[in-house]
Amino acid sequence: MKRIRGMAVRLNPADRVFYGLVDFFLAVILVIVAVPLWSTITLSFRPNHFIGSNLEGMFLMPWQWSTAAYKALLGNTGFISAFSNSVKILVFGVASSLFLTIPLAYVLSIKTLPGRKYLNVFILIPYLFNIGLIPTYLVVTKLGLTNSLAAIFLPGAISTYNCLIMRGFFEGIPDELKESARIDGASELYVLLRIILPLSKPIIMTIGLYYGVTFWNDFFHAMLYLNVNHLQPLPILLRNILMASGMNEYVESSAFGEASIQAIKAASIFMSAIPMIAAYPFIQKYFTRGTLLGSVKG
Amino acid sequence: MDMKSTVKRSKQKLMGDIKRHRAFYALLILPICYFIIFKYLPIWNGQIAFKDFMPLDGVLGSRWVGLANFTDFFQSFYFTELLRNTLFYSFMKLFVSVPLSIVLAVALYESARPRFSKLVQTMTYLPHFLSWVIVYGILLVLLAPGDGIVNDIIKFLGGKPIDFLTDTKAFPWIVILSDAWKEMGWGAIIFIAALMGIDSSLFEAASVEGASAIQRVWYITLPSIRPVIFMVVLLRLGTILDAGFNQMFMLYSIPVFSVADIIDTWVYRQGLLEFRFGLATAVGLFKGAIGMLLLVFANKLVRRISDTSII
Amino acid sequence: MKAAVLKKIALILALALMAVPVFAAGQADKSGSTQAAGPVSIELWYGAAITEAGPPPQDWAVLQLIKEKLNIDLKLSALPSNESDQDVKINAAAAANALPDLFMVRRDPWLNLIRVGLVAPVDELYAMMPTRSSVQYDADSKVFTTINGKSYGLASPGSIAKNEGMLIRKDWLDKLGLKVPVTTDEYLAVMRAFTFNDPDGNGKADTYGYGAFIEINNFEEGLGRRMDPFMGAFGVAGTWNMTAANAGLNVRNPAYYDALAYVKQMMDEKIIDPNWLSYKKDDFRAAWKQGRFGIMREQNAAFGAESNYAPFDKNFPKGEWIVIDAPKGPKGHQSVGVYTQAFRIYAVSTKAAAAGKGPAIARLLEWMSSDEGYYLLGWGQKGVNYALDANGVPTPNGLPDPEQAWTKPAAQVFTQLRNMVYYNGQIELLSRYPTYTTAVSGKTMSALTIMRDMQKRPWTAAIGSDALPPPNADLKRFYEQGVLEFLTGKRELTKANWTAWVQDFDRLGGKEWESAGIAKAKESGYLK
Repeated sequence: MKRIRGMAVRLNPADRVFYGLVDFFLAVILVIVAVPLWSTITLSFRPNHFIGSNLEGMFLMPWQWSTAAYKALLGNTGFISAFSNSVKILVFGVASSLFLTIPLAYVLSIKTLPGRKYLNVFILIPYLFNIGLIPTYLVVTKLGLTNSLAAIFLPGAISTYNCLIMRGFFEGIPDELKESARIDGASELYVLLRIILPLSKPIIMTIGLYYGVTFWNDFFHAMLYLNVNHLQPLPILLRNILMASGMNEYVESSAFGEASIQAIKAASIFMSAIPMIAAYPFIQKYFTRGTLLGSVKG
Repeated sequence: MDMKSTVKRSKQKLMGDIKRHRAFYALLILPICYFIIFKYLPIWNGQIAFKDFMPLDGVLGSRWVGLANFTDFFQSFYFTELLRNTLFYSFMKLFVSVPLSIVLAVALYESARPRFSKLVQTMTYLPHFLSWVIVYGILLVLLAPGDGIVNDIIKFLGGKPIDFLTDTKAFPWIVILSDAWKEMGWGAIIFIAALMGIDSSLFEAASVEGASAIQRVWYITLPSIRPVIFMVVLLRLGTILDAGFNQMFMLYSIPVFSVADIIDTWVYRQGLLEFRFGLATAVGLFKGAIGMLLLVFANKLVRRISDTSII
Repeated sequence: MKAAVLKKIALILALALMAVPVFAAGQADKSGSTQAAGPVSIELWYGAAITEAGPPPQDWAVLQLIKEKLNIDLKLSALPSNESDQDVKINAAAAANALPDLFMVRRDPWLNLIRVGLVAPVDELYAMMPTRSSVQYDADSKVFTTINGKSYGLASPGSIAKNEGMLIRKDWLDKLGLKVPVTTDEYLAVMRAFTFNDPDGNGKADTYGYGAFIEINNFEEGLGRRMDPFMGAFGVAGTWNMTAANAGLNVRNPAYYDALAYVKQMMDEKIIDPNWLSYKKDDFRAAWKQGRFGIMREQNAAFGAESNYAPFDKNFPKGEWIVIDAPKGPKGHQSVGVYTQAFRIYAVSTKAAAAGKGPAIARLLEWMSSDEGYYLLGWGQKGVNYALDANGVPTPNGLPDPEQAWTKPAAQVFTQLRNMVYYNGQIELLSRYPTYTTAVSGKTMSALTIMRDMQKRPWTAAIGSDALPPPNADLKRFYEQGVLEFLTGKRELTKANWTAWVQDFDRLGGKEWESAGIAKAKESGYLK
């Protein structure tokens, strides 16, 4: 007997092979992902004077590690302000995106809505005709959004991709549920807020994560629209580090003292990814718990 | 019943329908305003595709040049090569990354070891956060011809080292596989979220009827995420001419230009950096047109075999 | 019920619409205040001196000083740290006619900005800043920025000419009992020995003769700067031949074929680090610090400045690099590469000029070149970030808090604008490249002595070659890709194939590019 998803299941030999293969596959994937990641992590801890092949670098013991790269990053005068700008962009960005995307996706999922087809075409056209940087740039500057954090998240507040994925999930919610509420005299807003949303936590979390990660990592729009040093978010700071020696001039004094530029680069990636990585288990909880249809029927 | 009254009746019915749904339309006000401002105004600005755009004259004041920007692109020395490379990478990524994400999602879902599954899920999600600059660094550590780990192993086994990053035969695979490596876990999230929607009573029933694990996957798990799969594939087809600018811009180098230059990297060099925004926009329109054709066609196909539809 | 729904929605709408102005507010009241009689507002996009260090703080005393003294409200924004990002940012702002008042810009995008009329002539400004013009803008600088008879930008001296050189591992030479190579053949022999004779004695075949990476710019096309010493041995260093007698593109010179054949031999014999095609600058610099190769072309400070040399010193206390001459070719050609006078262009937008900000910009720049501005922006605050030694040279020694020295990470933010004031004067060089003792091996080193040595070696003058018209993007790709494919063997390097390739190059616009370049060179008097 084996417990799978809380159910006691009797396994026949073929099933045992199947589960063995599944775990084997996952183990292979784990190794493929973990080895390069590990090499990056050790790189971020590699002392400046390390000499030896990359393979040897991966087997550096923790007591040989140097935290100079992390210290240098945290000591960067712009770090705190960049971090707080990034958090602002993240919070306002995800809030405004969900605020705009959820109603749109919900209405599009109403199959009886007259004109639904036209609406779908209406939102698909901009998705297909991604017209490029300059036409959008002209609009955003005309709106006077340059030098405001809104310029980073408003132009991308609704992603058609995310919206359509969400629509698909809303369509999967049985109509009977909505109907019964409507018969009780509930308004559409009530149905959306009190019935649909609680049932859709996994997808809202997923889409929220998609938006959040996009905003968190967005370097390009910040580079274009923010012309004030103190508004720069984290990705700009990191990019400046990652591309530091891309310029022709080479600086005679290093900004990082003890750490090598490779270590700094690797460390900067982990520093910036930490909030998103930390958020993931929290979101994962919703993946395992709220089995959507099950709770509907139950 | 004559035509007129049918029309009238259906018109009345439509009006009634609309009236009944007015709360929904109200919900649409903000998103539609958003679309008009941030999506349709830029499209309107897209008229510079047919103009010789001069910043001082503005979008409206610039001179019309007809299709000159488009013909510049079509007659470019590298046009066929660009199109071939772009389509190759898009389709290969579609054929490799999407199935891999699906298999990964299903495996994570099916695994009988929840802790292990969660660990793998978290680990595979991480590479998405590495920017391509860093991934290039990782690739160099692994694949450099001089001291890359893979080449060290090849040399140890008595083979000849391969210049993975600068060899025109190996490079395309590096692009496809590194994309799969970086994005498979991220791409799997959407399928995992979909799997969470499966009605567990179906499994109970299958278990009672003595279905094997493979049968369960084949007859319950996969069909229940089919709409999401179709949706993802359709949406990717719509942007088929985006073959991954950021990745290519970081990974390509002069020796592999012939197999690495894609439409977006070309536009970046030839349009954006050379101050030819009309050309850049024209290529955007061209890509959109191809994407739309593919999407409409694929949508028709999908509608035949499933009730999923984008439009 | 329904009225309630509508009310709720109206409320949400109102809230959302209110949110936009809140975020946009920063922009709105700024444009309002510039109209008032107060200080002139100048927006400056600068190239940071140390890109990986942060920007100067918001409450930087210098900004306050500039406001009080010059009546200028200076708004600073650092440009992105790599060139293509910079170009994109500037091009996008240009498209919306939203360029800042004063900005650094690379020459290629700058030419486009002139074409579309977005940068203003600055001829009148020179007279308004006598001090600065005397140290920063000489006749060459003005020629560099003159297009159709008008100067469209202020070109300050960039990196020092001829600050790179050929370096060889003397300890490896000694160990293998070899002499310093002179001719191309001797170079080959030494590179072979460095590759196959285990010069570091670790018993592993992990060393190479030559190390490089692809570093291309408009005046060092083809294989780029790091391979130029070998091209120079055949008289074809750099993109252009700038002599009056043979002006033109080097790639169209038959000797280019011989140079390629030589480099191909290096590739075929595997005596050049095979990673050179995939290395980026950082990887190359990490590689020589780990002792991967024994000959390279490197920049003086990137090699010899204290913090850059330290890891090598720690790894190889017995290691020693020495500056040598570039290889001498069969016809006696010898050159580290081409040198130009490097300039950084700062341009004034047409919008700023139309708003009458020209004099204020001149006032600001003139102040920067005053003693006060020069030291304040170049080294920071006296007694805090730097002290003056007996010769009047700024030094980081003898400060109350050594961590506040301008060379230390904490204080680097205060010298981010230093490239706007430096002009490669003697004081700068002495303070930037001080003599020091290496930590582990105790060598006495100075990036300045190294540079002086490098400058004495044979170079090829190509002044102005960086001001010639750039190739079209497709042609550029055809050029770079083609040349490399002959090296990697994708195209077979034979006379016939080469001739055919050059013909294709001409057909694609190579010939016109050359004619345009020669015409421009003649017009500007660059040909010597």
